[in-house]
Order: sequence, then C-alpha cells, then structure tokens
Amino acid sequence: MGQMSRRQLLFTSAAAGGGFLLGLHLEASPRVLAATVKGTQTDFAPNAFIRIHKDGRVALMMNQVEMGQGTYTSMPMLIAEELEVGLDQVHLEHAPPNDKLYANPIFGDQETGGSTSVRAFYEPLRRAGATARTMLVAAAAEAWGVDTASCRARRGVVTHTLTGRTLSYGALAEKAAKLPVPAQVALKDPKDFKLIGTPAKRLDTPAKVNGKAEYGIDVRLPGMKIATVAASPVVGGKLVSVDDSKVRAIEGVRQIVRLDDAVAVVADHMWAAKRGLAALDIRWDDGQHGKINTADVVEGLAAAAQTPGVVARNDGDAPADLAGAANTLEAVYEVPFLAHATMEPMNCTVRVSPDRCEIWTGTQIITRAQGGAAKLTGLPLDKVEVHNRYLGGGFGRRLEFDMVLQAGANRPAGRGSG
Amino acid sequence: MVMLKINGKSHTVDAAPDMPLLWALRDLLGMNGTKFGCGAALCGACTVHLDGIPRRSCVMPVSAATGHSITTIEGVGATASGKRVQQAWLDLEVIQCGYCQSGQIMAAAALLAKIPAPTDTDIDQALSGNICRCGTYPRIREAIKRAARKPATSKKEG
Repeated sequence: MGQMSRRQLLFTSAAAGGGFLLGLHLEASPRVLAATVKGTQTDFAPNAFIRIHKDGRVALMMNQVEMGQGTYTSMPMLIAEELEVGLDQVHLEHAPPNDKLYANPIFGDQETGGSTSVRAFYEPLRRAGATARTMLVAAAAEAWGVDTASCRARRGVVTHTLTGRTLSYGALAEKAAKLPVPAQVALKDPKDFKLIGTPAKRLDTPAKVNGKAEYGIDVRLPGMKIATVAASPVVGGKLVSVDDSKVRAIEGVRQIVRLDDAVAVVADHMWAAKRGLAALDIRWDDGQHGKINTADVVEGLAAAAQTPGVVARNDGDAPADLAGAANTLEAVYEVPFLAHATMEPMNCTVRVSPDRCEIWTGTQIITRAQGGAAKLTGLPLDKVEVHNRYLGGGFGRRLEFDMVLQAGANRPAGRGSG
Repeated sequence: MVMLKINGKSHTVDAAPDMPLLWALRDLLGMNGTKFGCGAALCGACTVHLDGIPRRSCVMPVSAATGHSITTIEGVGATASGKRVQQAWLDLEVIQCGYCQSGQIMAAAALLAKIPAPTDTDIDQALSGNICRCGTYPRIREAIKRAARKPATSKKEG
C-alpha cells in the first residue's frame, strides 16, 4: 500500500474493520416489536418500561443502551426498587425506537450519552416502578376487599399483613391491567431503599462470560449476505473509480457496490468480502478537506478560543477580580483528537422489503437511526423497525448512524444478487 | 471440505483452506462467541485454544487447525481452568461492554492451565495482546489471581 500516514492508517483500519451485514431475505417476519411495547391484553403494562406477564415474568424495557457503563443494571435497579421485585426476578428487553415513550429528558430524544442515564431517569423510572406497584397493590386489596394500607409488596408478591394472604404479581396482572393508571404515586423515602445505593451484580455479565451475549455484529438472518466497506479516507471525499477486475473471480463474492463515498463488497461470508475488498483498486478524490492537518486544526481552535464564547454562567466580576489579584496563573490546556476505537467494529444488519425495513444494530441514538433509514428507503417511520443490541463499546462513536445508511444503501444490490 | 474438532465435537465446513478459523466459526458454524475485533491479530478478541494453546483465530487458516482440538468461549467452561476463570470474572464483575472478554477469558484460562499460580509478570506477558477499550485490566488481573486461588464454586446471585 506504499507509505501511509497515521491518519490514513486509522481510516483504513476502520474501514477494513467496518463490516456490515446485509440481509437478502425479502419475506415478512413476525412483527414482534409492536407487541413488546403494548403487551398482550392479559399482560399488565402500566407504562412503556414495565410488562408483567400472567406467568409472573417481569419484563423491563431498556431504552438507555448498554455499552459497558452498566445501564442494564442501574436502570433495572431504579425500576425494581419501587416495583418491589428483586433483580434476579427481572428479564430485560431492548426498547424499540420511540421518542414519545423513551426520550432522555436531558436531550429530548431517545439517546444514551454524556453520562446522563442515571441523572435523567432517576425519578422517571422510579415513578414507573411505583406506579406499577401501586396498581398491583390496589388490585390485591380489591380482590380481598381490604384497605390498601394493610397490604405490602415485596419480591413480586403482595401480602395482606393482617391475615397473611398472598397474591403474586403474575396472578394480579390481569386485574391490575383493568385499573386506571394513577396520575400521582408516592415514591419511597431514600432511607427505605433496598437496592439503590447497593453494590448490585451486573445483569449483563453472565451472558458475557460464555459467549452468549448478542452484539449487533452477532445478528444472523437466514440467507444473509455479508459485506465490508472501504470508506473515503477523508470526510467529504468522493469515490472516483474502482477497478474490480481481480475481485469477481474470488469465490463467495457476490457484488461490488459503489456509493458516493465508499465501496462495498458483498459476499457469502466475511472472509470472501475481506479478500474482495483487499483486491479492489480504488481511487478517491479527497475533496476540500484533503489537505487539512492536525497543526491547522489546533491553530483554528486556538484562534476560535480568543473570540467571545457562549456564557454558561457569570458570577461576580471576574475581569475586575483578576485585574486586582496579587498573583495570577496562566496555563494552556490542550488535548489531542482521540479515536473512539470501539472493540466491536461498526456494523448494521438490514432486511428490506417494498413496504418494510428492519434494522439490527447497536446504537446510542435509535430514533435518529430509524429516521435516517426512513429517509433513505422512502418508507414511513412506522414501517422502519430498529432492533437494538448490546454495544461492544460506544464512546460516542455510536451516536452516529453512518453504518445504518451504508447498509441501507446496499439494499438494491442485495435484492439483485439474491 | 474441512474437518474441525471444536469443543469436543467434529464439524465439517465448506471452507477454503486459507479461510481464517474465525470466519469458519462465526459465518459458517454460527458460533458467535468468538469475536472479530481487528482481523490482524492485534487485539486478541478472537482468541481460541488450539490444543490448549491460545491462538488468534482471525489469522489462523482452517487448514492449520485441522487435526487439532479447538476450544472456544462456548466450550471453555467445560475445562477446569476455564470454569474457574468464568466464575472469578462473575465474582469480581470484571466485564463492562464485554466485547473483548471472550478473548480475555480464553487467554486467562490458557495461562492458568499452564501456570497454576501466575505472577503479575506472567499475567502481563500472557495477556498483553488482549486489548480492552473499557480498561478492565486491573480487574482482569485480580480475577486471574482469584481463579488461581479458588476452585470453581456455584456462588449464588447476590
């Protein structure tokens, strides 16, 4: 490949690792997601986060994604604390995209980032748990014809304290589902917390020590093809030409797809796709950013730092105080650009039919990914389903959804080669 | 056709001899526990055992794996050291995102099978090629020491 700058090397590695997976099956599959939000009629689903089945299974919908930071333990703790169930009693599901139900109040959309999950959802999720518990207790009190004040909920069971009678949440689900959802519920006094503030075991760990945890890259559909991409080494660059004469003879390669700023090789498996990509002779037009270097960027930032900025807070009279200070200290702090370098390469699996698009990926911004796919395919939002998975690292890289658009853009190729 | 013995079972896969074992496992056999990180033996996420020795499956052709006993993360719990390592990983909550941990666990299990009471230097040498972007290294080291000290037990969830 001749001499490469560090910058080129990073981009090339990312592109070589940037496999995405492309589904070729066009038939419809069961539409599971609609059911997972609402639950069936006999389930108790008082809000978008909790679903209690008649068999006693407690499902919690996880809208803040798990990328190593522990949200699939902290979010369940918030709900379980008020719902009065143990962490060993809950079953977690990845939430579908829905800003109305799941928006992060700090950002206004369904987004995991900026270390906001616990502070944004500390009260909303406790309230969700308390609402469900209040309704389950009311259902039990009604069944026994007693005052709710004489009933206690603990570990998924309501007990009538005066007689010792018990009813499980599963047994109460149908009855609770018929009660009106209370507008106001009492939250626990923090001194009564049993879970919040305790060092709980992570709920995602057991599946991560034996290879069972499913990340975006592990999604497999029947007949699925696998593609890998070379993206323009410069943001804003364009593809000029591709010589694929050496690629078509590679066994397992199905198609070479040219996008504006990337080339993809579609194949039966990743090995063929990788070999195909390596055998392409690609020419890029780096575009207007081709000559940008780190020194220019640093200089630009330094110059921008001398211009008036946004005022976040203005206490007292800092300039006057500094002018009158006995000692002043000046220092310049700089940090380099850092690669996100997630361990799991960027990836996305798509299955598209004329009236429906399904996406599987690990994303920090599921509704934006859904919106991007809707725009690309021309389908309405409600025909674009996104199934989130565990993220093999996020670090903000998965606040972008370029991998979804790349996978989606290969749709005609996938259909053609199927 | 290539014959592979994986976790005690024989599999026949339709793979070219030069196909890396990683893709035979993931794309042909659907064994997704072994992870693709870099594809160039630089990160360790794809580590498997070949006759008990840790190897990078992303650069090992299936032809070199034929006739050997392959162990993956799906099967390492059936080995004494693998079971102890998995339990120590749970006890000490080693894992964050988890994507590198199949490889970390495979490397640690191979180390303990070879050196029952490894020093920090042994651990550093054996696992220096396994990258963790979440930075779980201190807990990995502690968990290996714990696995070395303790036999596997079925500890109850707290």
